[in-house]
Amino acid sequence: MKDTRRTRTVLGVLLVAALAMITVDYRGGDHSPLSGLRSAGAAVFGPVERASASVVRPVGGTFDAITDAPGEKRRADRLARDNQRLREQLRSNRLDQDRSAQLQRLLGTAGMGGYKILAAQVISAGQGFEDTVTIDVGSRSGVRADMTVMSADGLVGRVTRVGPATSTVLLATDQTSSVGSRLEDSKEIGIVQGSGRRGLGGGATPLRFQLLDAAAPMRVGQRLVTLGSQGERPYVPGVPIGTVERIDASSTGLTRTAYVKPFVHFTSLDVVAVVVAPPKTDPRDAVLPAKPAPPPSPSPTPSPSGSPGGKKKKGKKGPKTEAGGTATPSANPSSGG
Amino acid sequence: MLNPPETSQTGRTLTTVLVIVVALILQVSVANRLPLPGGVQPDLVLLAVVALALVFGSMTGMVTGFLAGLAADIIPPADHTIGRYALVYCLIGYLCGIASAEMDRQTVVPFFAVAAGALAGTVLYAVTGMILGDPRAQWGTVSGMVPLQVGYDVVASPFIVWAVLRVTRRYERGERSRGDRLSVPAARYRAMSGRGGGL
Repeated sequence: MKDTRRTRTVLGVLLVAALAMITVDYRGGDHSPLSGLRSAGAAVFGPVERASASVVRPVGGTFDAITDAPGEKRRADRLARDNQRLREQLRSNRLDQDRSAQLQRLLGTAGMGGYKILAAQVISAGQGFEDTVTIDVGSRSGVRADMTVMSADGLVGRVTRVGPATSTVLLATDQTSSVGSRLEDSKEIGIVQGSGRRGLGGGATPLRFQLLDAAAPMRVGQRLVTLGSQGERPYVPGVPIGTVERIDASSTGLTRTAYVKPFVHFTSLDVVAVVVAPPKTDPRDAVLPAKPAPPPSPSPTPSPSGSPGGKKKKGKKGPKTEAGGTATPSANPSSGG
Repeated sequence: MLNPPETSQTGRTLTTVLVIVVALILQVSVANRLPLPGGVQPDLVLLAVVALALVFGSMTGMVTGFLAGLAADIIPPADHTIGRYALVYCLIGYLCGIASAEMDRQTVVPFFAVAAGALAGTVLYAVTGMILGDPRAQWGTVSGMVPLQVGYDVVASPFIVWAVLRVTRRYERGERSRGDRLSVPAARYRAMSGRGGGL
């Protein structure tokens, strides 16, 4: 009985402590006194995550390489060892090749827009409802809060918190993220909001676009780039975001809503880049992939035709039917690097 | 292992810390990056807390839960109010510890305890989000996510529970020799999970 009483006391103390922390952190907001705790967490767990990421990455391939070689002949032993060493070299070469291919694409994309980037690798991802990831560069490499993060395909998100060797990225799909954006080939602007990847079924898109001018033309298949924030922070201009997949016909408000399929595969992020310096001039649509790019993901139609449940008739319109005349992005000679 | 049942308090604490740290690291760097359908991943830390509480009782369960939750609140990609996981895991640890005392009656209890723990943990976390007005914890997201998450948790639970029981076996044996009442449910639970894993 005494034990139970003690247990209850401890339970009460712990619950009160947790509630107190929640209150303090919630009231504090961005300047919460508990942010020191987060920095401590980043300092302690950051290096551990980096280490574990470097273990986890090649582990899949290395499993089958570690075969036992307890043969009685020394020669066979040596050969097996050599063989294994070579095979591991080959495998790590292939990993490096893969990585370097990704980096090269990334450099190409960044070069087109004139962004100055810092390559990074995703080492861990958030839990619960949040769409956040950790990358393996931090304040020591010159990363600051509110920098744009992109990949070779397009916008990933922005840096929210920076530790010494790691930083936290809020993905564009997170429900608290909103990005000023612009329709390609036009000046129509709007806001791309994340609707969260969590709990979404196969057909749902993780991004929602609100066109500020309800009367402005918008077509399925049109693509979006970032508009650029004031002072280029947190978002630099011209980063591709995604393709309009379907337009909400029913909305009667002041804005029109469309659902956007992002260029980036948010579930398989690997090599990303932090934009450490914005371009000298707005790259406009130059960074968007060449117009015939849609074929790699050619099916924005969520349902095959004929399904009676499909309430969005507009979804059936293929992206290829739209005018391809202004197809090639204006080859904007980006002077920067 | 043939080592004698040492005075297990230190060893138990160390094992518990080790289990939680490993679960946390696995959670953020492996589990959360799995591209599972629905974008939801099993909560390994919650499962580890539940398993430890079932083995060691409510006291260890809630202290472990509190500390594990606090760690989950501050580990880098976390971006929510500090203390939410601490609150939730602490409560779950306590409740599962209480449940472990009842466990020698029915043999099905352990399995349900894990499922119920996962369900309660996920729902509680969502509720704290709703109370705080977290824009991520809107009803649409929560209702889509909770069933999936509980499903994944139940699928992942045998592995986690097996691993935890494997690691803590030594201390449990030491306790049985001292006649601690906690050893009975733990042994029963282990037998139970062993049967489940064999299927």
